[in-house]
Amino acid sequence: MPRLTLRRRRQLAGAVFALPALVLVLGLIGLPIGQAVYYSFTQWDGLTSTWIGPSTWTQAFHNPNLWTALQNNAWLLLAVPFALGFPLLIAMLLHQRVVGWKVFRSIYFLPTAISWVVLGLVAERFFAYQGTLNSLLHVVGLAHVNTNMLGYESTALSALGITFVFTMIGTNTMLFLTGLATLDTSLEEAARIDGAGRWRIFRHITLPHLSRFIQLAFVMTVIALFSALFSLIFVMTGGGPGYATTTMEFLIYQTGFAQGDFGTAALYGLILFVLTAIVGIIQLRLIGSDE
Amino acid sequence: MAEITFEGVTKVFAGNVTAVDHLDLHVADGEFMVLVGPSGCGKTTALRMLAGLEEISSGTLSIGGRVVNHVLPKDRDVAMVFQNYALYPHMSVAQNMGFALKIRGESKDEITRKVAEAASILRLSEYLDRRPKALSGGQRQRVAMGRAIVRSPRAFLMDEPLSNLDAQLRVEMRVEIARIQRLLGVATLYVTHDQIEAMTMGDRVAVMRGGKLQQVAPPQELYDRPANEFVAGFMGSPPMNLLRVRTAPAEGRLALAVGAQRLELPRAYEASHELPTDADCELVLGVRPEDIEVVDEAGSGPTLRTRVERREALGAEILVHLALVEAGAPSSVAYDEDVAITRPSVLVARMAPQARVGVGDVLNVRLNEERLHFFDALSGVSLARGTA
Repeated sequence: MPRLTLRRRRQLAGAVFALPALVLVLGLIGLPIGQAVYYSFTQWDGLTSTWIGPSTWTQAFHNPNLWTALQNNAWLLLAVPFALGFPLLIAMLLHQRVVGWKVFRSIYFLPTAISWVVLGLVAERFFAYQGTLNSLLHVVGLAHVNTNMLGYESTALSALGITFVFTMIGTNTMLFLTGLATLDTSLEEAARIDGAGRWRIFRHITLPHLSRFIQLAFVMTVIALFSALFSLIFVMTGGGPGYATTTMEFLIYQTGFAQGDFGTAALYGLILFVLTAIVGIIQLRLIGSDE
Repeated sequence: MAEITFEGVTKVFAGNVTAVDHLDLHVADGEFMVLVGPSGCGKTTALRMLAGLEEISSGTLSIGGRVVNHVLPKDRDVAMVFQNYALYPHMSVAQNMGFALKIRGESKDEITRKVAEAASILRLSEYLDRRPKALSGGQRQRVAMGRAIVRSPRAFLMDEPLSNLDAQLRVEMRVEIARIQRLLGVATLYVTHDQIEAMTMGDRVAVMRGGKLQQVAPPQELYDRPANEFVAGFMGSPPMNLLRVRTAPAEGRLALAVGAQRLELPRAYEASHELPTDADCELVLGVRPEDIEVVDEAGSGPTLRTRVERREALGAEILVHLALVEAGAPSSVAYDEDVAITRPSVLVARMAPQARVGVGDVLNVRLNEERLHFFDALSGVSLARGTA
């Protein structure tokens, strides 16, 4: 048998070492995706599945609830700039070492340590007709503005978005603080001597330095928005009123577990997966293009 | 262009740490002033106060006759080169150099022209489109210089700009920076802990220790007439030999007891130095390594008997460590950073590599009688008349 070249042997060894990881990835991610694709062509009640071909696909796209859910997801994307902007502002302030910054840091990070179910309950109490928000408005003399954000289709999604922004503040603030901590202070000093004021330093020095961190926060926030809102929705609105706060993720749950239509739910899952993947790929491209 | 004046400038940090203590320093227009001293001596703090990056606790700091104590860095019109260069990583070389001009609101054409001009002075023209991370250490250093000169500021501030470069590049850039400073004629305050940079680059050198200014003088004067023991020990490599000795006048002649040995001094020192006339007064004798030579026993002048302890060949010269032979040898003084350490007396002599000297040899060495230094044993202040 001819001896393998060193190069070939290295390649072979590499492949052998990569095999366990490959099996895990395929087994834990590839297989479920494949299964979801398969089930989307079946009538499946959770126990037995019957092959029905592409009819689920054609029916699903005629279902107005799917479009409502997609629309809700799109609207919620408007929360993303706030979920990044507020933490950036807070991180900048904390980074200035304002008096009591350590206490503030803990306070802002606190929501991160609390279950989203609890946060949802708190938010539900906050926005409720007899809740904290209206009490506050009453105290400041705005009793006539009585709100009931969760009670109306027109405002429930906004209340959900606001709650989502609040839950993301801790994580993103920490991320930006980490980014700021890695900023070489002499760069800022150099810019000050070069004549830059606060805004210019932020615009030309701090922001470019933070761009990686902002991109990462963006990806994490969008993914959370698409796939982690379930507990908030479940606790706050149950997807209502009507379908006003039903997102793709919640629709999957309703279709699969409430209506027992796992075939369609699997299809919705695929759609959500593709959407999330698109966001991820766009971001990877953006990050990659910087190198 | 402008002159820089520190008048009684003091910096006290939180926790009552005095970093700079009543600094009085004047840098003339166009002058290259080097601020040198061991780490922690306050030289960088002094520079940062001038840049406006540190508040001044007391005193007056002025640039071009205008008091700048409370003026923001951006309004001082000074340019600074940082130790780590502080280049903006996401900007190209051209953008780095043009940043200050852009902020000042100059036109694109004007910026391009000035950057190109500075780049040609610094031989950076072909790198203008690169990012800092794609440059070598020396090139980055030049970009940092370029960012400073492109602005035509009233003063240059440089904080150990060569300390991150390898030895050979440092020598090149030393010459380069001095050349550019003379070309532009801008008042420059250059901070370093490297006494070779101080000697070779500065028009004048200010030596600091423990927040206090020790001496300001042209490099050669600093070397030839150090104001105190610290300056004598800090400037020069290897440093000046400092021996604790006692006066032992006899028959009206000046002489010193160096341990059990006697050292006759020329009469000229009576006029040039305020030497104690009484016997048995302690003082510190300083002698540079190059002012020690091996002589035959019959030789005249101040001589000492020594034994060779160690021999270091440096190629162009050898350094010979000599211990005094007789018992009761005096102690010598050395400076480690800014703490004076007393140790058993060893003289370091600089000799030609041809000198046939071996470890263990007993040698008679003569000290150059025209170039001896004397310092007060307690205060360390030079006893030479006419020095501060």
